Amino acid sequence: METAYFIETIIKIVVILLVFSALAGFGTYFERKILAFMQRRLGPMNVGPFGVLQIAADGIKLFTKEDIVPTNAVGPIFKIAPVITAATAFMAAAAIPFMPQFTIFGYTVHPIVADVNIGILYILGVMAVGFYGPLLGSLASSNKFALLSAARAAAVFISYEVVTGLALLAPLMMVGSFSLIDFNNYQAGGVGDWIIWSQPVAFVLFWIAAFAETGRTPFHLVANDHEIIDGFGTEYSGMRWGLFFIGEYANMFFISFVIVLLFLGGFGDGSVFGALMFLLKMAFFFFFFLWTRAAWPDIRPDQLMWLCWKILMPLAVLNVVVTGFVMMF
Amino acid sequence: MEAIAFYTFAILTTVMFLITVLTNHALYALSALAAGMIFISAFFFMLGADFLGAIQIIVYTGAVMALYAFGMMFFDTTRTVVESRTSPQIIFGLSGVAALTIVAIFVAPIISGNITALYPAIDGVGNSQMVGMVLFTKYLIPFEVAAIMLLVAMIAGIVLAGKKMDQSLTLMKDEVECETKEKENV
Amino acid sequence: MMSLEQFENRNVSESGYYKVDIESYPETGWEKAKQVFSRAIRGELFVGLWVVMREMIKFDIHTVQYPKEKLPVGPRYRAVHEMQRLWESGTERCIGCGLCEKICISDCIRMDTKIDENNRKVVSEYTINLGRCIFCGYCAEVCPELAIVHGGRYENTSEQRAHYTEYDDMLTPFDMALKGEVPEYPGFGAVTPHEDERVKSTPLAY
Repeated sequence: METAYFIETIIKIVVILLVFSALAGFGTYFERKILAFMQRRLGPMNVGPFGVLQIAADGIKLFTKEDIVPTNAVGPIFKIAPVITAATAFMAAAAIPFMPQFTIFGYTVHPIVADVNIGILYILGVMAVGFYGPLLGSLASSNKFALLSAARAAAVFISYEVVTGLALLAPLMMVGSFSLIDFNNYQAGGVGDWIIWSQPVAFVLFWIAAFAETGRTPFHLVANDHEIIDGFGTEYSGMRWGLFFIGEYANMFFISFVIVLLFLGGFGDGSVFGALMFLLKMAFFFFFFLWTRAAWPDIRPDQLMWLCWKILMPLAVLNVVVTGFVMMF
Repeated sequence: MEAIAFYTFAILTTVMFLITVLTNHALYALSALAAGMIFISAFFFMLGADFLGAIQIIVYTGAVMALYAFGMMFFDTTRTVVESRTSPQIIFGLSGVAALTIVAIFVAPIISGNITALYPAIDGVGNSQMVGMVLFTKYLIPFEVAAIMLLVAMIAGIVLAGKKMDQSLTLMKDEVECETKEKENV
Repeated sequence: MMSLEQFENRNVSESGYYKVDIESYPETGWEKAKQVFSRAIRGELFVGLWVVMREMIKFDIHTVQYPKEKLPVGPRYRAVHEMQRLWESGTERCIGCGLCEKICISDCIRMDTKIDENNRKVVSEYTINLGRCIFCGYCAEVCPELAIVHGGRYENTSEQRAHYTEYDDMLTPFDMALKGEVPEYPGFGAVTPHEDERVKSTPLAY
């Protein structure tokens, strides 16, 4: 039993790593294609049919590029920063159930690496650690634009942690558990049982905060496009930069899974249809990340702070208070 | 298994905090501090206190990130900080106390054989529920007092920082422009 | 074949300009709050989302996949030179007068001529240094025989700074000329439309 469990866990970890590294690659492809279509362009077309092999070309390019560490950079920290981003993104996946449990060759598989009873807290914590990646990278690369990016990163991450936590508090109070599987079972009864109907405010707040936590476009202040350079990634080259990228896209996928599990019923009763719907719902949220990137402009750092502390946080607190009163009476 | 994990994380944590104390480099010190704080959470996980472990990670990553922000403001984080040691007596005294503390820490396990957990983990009850029960029954007053203290600190911070918050930078007129206009009026 | 019509309307700015209505900045807290609420309720964010989604569904792609497709250049665009042949006989138009070499202000045309067995002057060697050519078009203007003209080939990639184009490369292929596939050249160097009306008779005693 013990060895079987051990082997199963190892296999699950390897599968998640492989699938999501590949998905991160495909994520860049989807992003380029969808952005292109929305801007009446074609996107990558030349490598492979419809440019699908562009991912492979990019991979080869990233792996074979020279790995430059600038002279004045703080070497060890500069080198470890991208690893933090990528590693924490995948560590967060440990507590996410990607599918309902299924039986294969008479052996029941739970597609979750570790069903800890503090799942959502664990995911938030590990994602919080992931913020060290851009922060350390930009502090260590001794570049003033990277430093500015680090300042913005610290401000955004600390602020939006608050919103994420407070927005989650209300649904957590309703379900009474931190486990994502418990969340799923709470909403297993069908569309009517989804938490989004009872907690629409929390849903919207968490969704907005998800944009800040993944650093996607309306809140893409970590790598500030307005300065034309890539913020924390200015001094990075080759695969170290690629690791930041993999981390960002893996994070987008995982946070889409988490939103669906928390608010939109997850995989429902665990049937095949439920599992398919789960993936579809996840795909919509991933698509939305790309959609907003095509449609919306970035906002200024002060507007971001204003939005966080003057609108979202009071709303989240009100939501918690109202939920508490409703649950009490 | 548990022993291996314990010693690994013990060594890692100690090394990280040693780096924090011994290095002259602000960035190394902060990063090592963050890493040490995260490694400490491993002990909570090993003892079955999942909730506290996760809270440790969340709270201290945020806290150390605030330290980074200060580090960014006060130092050039890519250079070593030159320290001036003005009074060797204090350094001597403090290191002596530290050495004594370490001795005490290593001696402590000899006495701690007969310590029993006040609130041992109960099977079948979630960790967070247990923490909640203890926090809101036995430790309710310290909890509330801490909350009030944090509120006071927050209000004080806002009052100190927000002196010119009602002025809008967007609407602020260029001073030179205003002066010329005044002269023209005269 | 390229034609001038699509390039003739130059009034791109006739319509479509209008002044953007910029609101004044809100001053009091109440005005700010009103601005926030009005912006939130108007749903401008969703308008943006809808616009890009509409474009994606319409799939009206404007990309020109350059090496495979090329945009037409204007017929009077001055790109790499071409040498024309006579329509029916296919004889080379160039008579080796040397005017183009003379007028070239960047001094990039070199030609050698000889007298052939029929006692006619022919070009034996003719090169243009495209690294120096400024594509001013004087050679095409001055050519009395409409032999050297500016064609539409604008891709000038080369391995060296001074790259040359030779007479044979510029010359219209002979078989094309014989098959009558050389239409009247409308581009730079050709006679402009309505040239007859503009020609003034020269008095004999001039």
